[in-house]
Amino acid sequence: MTTPWNNILHTALLGTDKQSLRAEELGEDLSPMAEQIVTSDKEEKFLQIAALAFNYRQAGFIPQHKESAQLSKPTPEDKPYCSPQAMQVLADVLEEENTALLALWLQLCRNSGQLARPEILPALLQRCITHKHLREDILTCGGQRARWLATLNPDWSMLPGSEDSAEQQWQTGTPEQRRDVLQQLHKSDPARALEWLQATWAQEDVNSKTDLLRSLSASPGPIDLPFLEGLSVDKSKKIREEATLLLKRIPASNLIRKYSEALQQRLKLKKERSLLGMLSKTALEIVPPADGQELSPILVQSGIEKLSNKKEYSDEEFICYQLMSYIPLDFYTSLWQKTPEEVVKLFNDDPLGKKLIPALVLSTVHFAEPKHAVPLMQFSSTFYLDLLPLLQPQQQEFYSNKFFATSPDAIIQYSTRRETEWGLELTESILRHASKDPYRYSKIFFNKIIALIPVGATAVLDKIQPDTLPAGASGNWPSISDAIRTLLLLKTQTIQAFNK
Amino acid sequence: MDLSEEQILTLAPDESSKKSGKDLANPSKWVSKAISARALWGECQGSGSKPYQTQVDLANLAFKCSCPSRKFPCKHGLGLLLLSARQPGLFQPSEEPLWVSDWLSKRVEKEERRAEKKESAKPVDEAAHAKRQQARQQKVSDGVAELLLWIKDMIRSGIHALPAKAPAWWENMARRMVDAQAPGLANMVRTLGNTNFYRTDWQSECTEQLLRIYLLISGYQYFDQQDPLLQADINSQLGFTINQEELKEAEGILDTWLVLGKQSSEDQGITTERYWLFGATTRRYALILQFIVRGQGAQLSLTPGLRIRAELVFFPSTAPLRALIKRQIQADTNSDGQGFSNWKEVADSTTATVSVLPFDGPRPYIVHRLTPVLHGQQWWLKDEEQTLMPIKENFRPIWKVLSLSGGEPLDMALIGKDRTFEPIGVWHDRQYKII
Repeated sequence: MTTPWNNILHTALLGTDKQSLRAEELGEDLSPMAEQIVTSDKEEKFLQIAALAFNYRQAGFIPQHKESAQLSKPTPEDKPYCSPQAMQVLADVLEEENTALLALWLQLCRNSGQLARPEILPALLQRCITHKHLREDILTCGGQRARWLATLNPDWSMLPGSEDSAEQQWQTGTPEQRRDVLQQLHKSDPARALEWLQATWAQEDVNSKTDLLRSLSASPGPIDLPFLEGLSVDKSKKIREEATLLLKRIPASNLIRKYSEALQQRLKLKKERSLLGMLSKTALEIVPPADGQELSPILVQSGIEKLSNKKEYSDEEFICYQLMSYIPLDFYTSLWQKTPEEVVKLFNDDPLGKKLIPALVLSTVHFAEPKHAVPLMQFSSTFYLDLLPLLQPQQQEFYSNKFFATSPDAIIQYSTRRETEWGLELTESILRHASKDPYRYSKIFFNKIIALIPVGATAVLDKIQPDTLPAGASGNWPSISDAIRTLLLLKTQTIQAFNK
Repeated sequence: MDLSEEQILTLAPDESSKKSGKDLANPSKWVSKAISARALWGECQGSGSKPYQTQVDLANLAFKCSCPSRKFPCKHGLGLLLLSARQPGLFQPSEEPLWVSDWLSKRVEKEERRAEKKESAKPVDEAAHAKRQQARQQKVSDGVAELLLWIKDMIRSGIHALPAKAPAWWENMARRMVDAQAPGLANMVRTLGNTNFYRTDWQSECTEQLLRIYLLISGYQYFDQQDPLLQADINSQLGFTINQEELKEAEGILDTWLVLGKQSSEDQGITTERYWLFGATTRRYALILQFIVRGQGAQLSLTPGLRIRAELVFFPSTAPLRALIKRQIQADTNSDGQGFSNWKEVADSTTATVSVLPFDGPRPYIVHRLTPVLHGQQWWLKDEEQTLMPIKENFRPIWKVLSLSGGEPLDMALIGKDRTFEPIGVWHDRQYKII
């Protein structure tokens, strides 16, 4: 549309050498005044007329009247806002960029049934982009207003809002979004997740299929069996392998049943006489299959090796070891009518069993069975670190303290995966060990695990003085110690803010 | 004084001071700490053998610390103030130690000495001063004539060629204006050169700035025929400074001034801080400028949301905005603002200003009950009369404004120029929140 201002811009662009601005081009309001500007200097005339129009334009601005411009409103909140003190701590936590403390703050806020105040919501929603694991808590603590805001900003459209948005992401999202959506749904509604997956399976390429199968690994279950077992004849090796990995995680699968049958044929109990034939005891023995049958091809294809690659195991022992690694401990309890404790004792007291106990540990970890981790810890003469995460917090604390001196770094590694705070004794051991190796246990390390350190650890830090540290550590530890103190102060303030 | 952490951090001279100040807001860092009605003080164990003595004048929000830092306020001052905001219970009311009461008394004495010094100031050699002024006016006149010629050349050949000009082309003319002792014109030329030539409507932005320069030049060419106040505006825009000590002699306006916002920019080692103020009783807006040379301390510590009881003297102008703080009596944080009811009133006010001062810069406005709305892929602020004003393009804090609003109207403080406005603060739950 040609407006007086556009005419001015047009002349300015081309230059007065090529085009002159005529007074009548300024519209009826300004033309009479522009006509009074008389000078032979073309540039001067243009500048005077344009200056007149510029001032007329900036002085005569009338705001646009638009009743139709509206914005939806969020549903009113039904929870109270948190205290100003809690908000202040949240602002500090966000400023520190500490995800562990942010997670703690959100958890306490959620548990107390309170909401973060509106001014902080954009900063929280921004964190959702990078910290997927916090999304749900952020939306809970952000209340209706956070959900409303998320609908207005395209950057936050990935947030879990409704079933529709999840389905939309599944249908049109990026490979990563589709994988995440499928994984989430498979945890909450595996039947529906399988339905989605099977509906698009034929259209996916091999890489997508493998990726999507991998997303089921967080929660494989019996419901997945028909689909996964159907994939054992898929023409792609990658897909067959991925499906086999998942089948190995489902005790009810045909594969595990075949493993169990193969083991049952080989591993037997026998009665042995001892003490001049006065006493008898149960021992383990490996009996090769009576009909001389070789290991079934299905088992070989699933990854069971026929030949031992460990010198302390014979080929048959090695086959049993591999099979046992994928067979739940319940198999032995029902087969031999023994309690888990008796099974572990039986293996521990037998020379052959001792060699096979690591396979029991592997299977317990593989199927994440806490009920079997306890007897393995109690009755086995070896300390198996891998079982620590399966134990109850008090038991983890007990065994971590007991074996800290022998494997400090490995125990620290496992302790960082805990979901509950460490006890003070373990904290002291860890901090003392960390103070001697500040390059490995840096500020970044403590930033990540601050939620696990009890607030009482400040007193422990006071005990670790620079003069008690090795020469190399004394330079860095004080600043790390200060950083931990700052984080502990924030943690204390977070807890206090929700204790009121 | 009850400052929020956000307000305290706004006082920090840079990001590293913010970070260090936060680290020092930890009780374990302070050997002692206490408070009185006038001041807050503490001793912080630094790297030296003796703890640093840090003190804050609560009435005027001033800092002093025995640390060697050249930053102002230093991290210790910020840390102490942050700690008092976070954990006020840690500061026991006590009698001021000698080093605190001495400093406070010296501040009062210094003010008195300054007043005495003014009274006993040497008389100015009027003849020499007039000669210097005449020489400068000649230089400025020559510079203005050169700039006008440059602009006319541009207009003759058309502005289509401007996006291709190298930065040196603009900087060369800006330096010519500096040589002509017209630094204000130099800045205007730099602004012209900084036009965003990648925008689709760069032509409008560029032409507007060209015309602002032209209007100023025209005003200067007919200087003697102008009203004395407009002459002051023209001089100020050209870069003539006013003796601030002399200005402070004038009678000021005593009011409770709410600090609406603070904007900082840095150029060639000089930080310019702009504080936008609003007088609760007089309903006048003011702009306080502070220039800080790198490495030197700042005189003024104001933070958005703070209310100061102070006497302000305005620089002479047809539409007075820039002012000086003649004296500050006390500081408080309760804030309230009475502003415009709708965009029509704002437009009327803008019209009144630009009709007398066509090359005016951005000004602050408080507007009641504005609601952010999305219209035509752009964010606008809608008033109670259903009229819209666009928010500045790419205004990142829009989400904070939206979140605070929740679709409901808010009273807002804005900075505006031409047809776009930028919120700098809102009243939410009767509290002033910085955007």
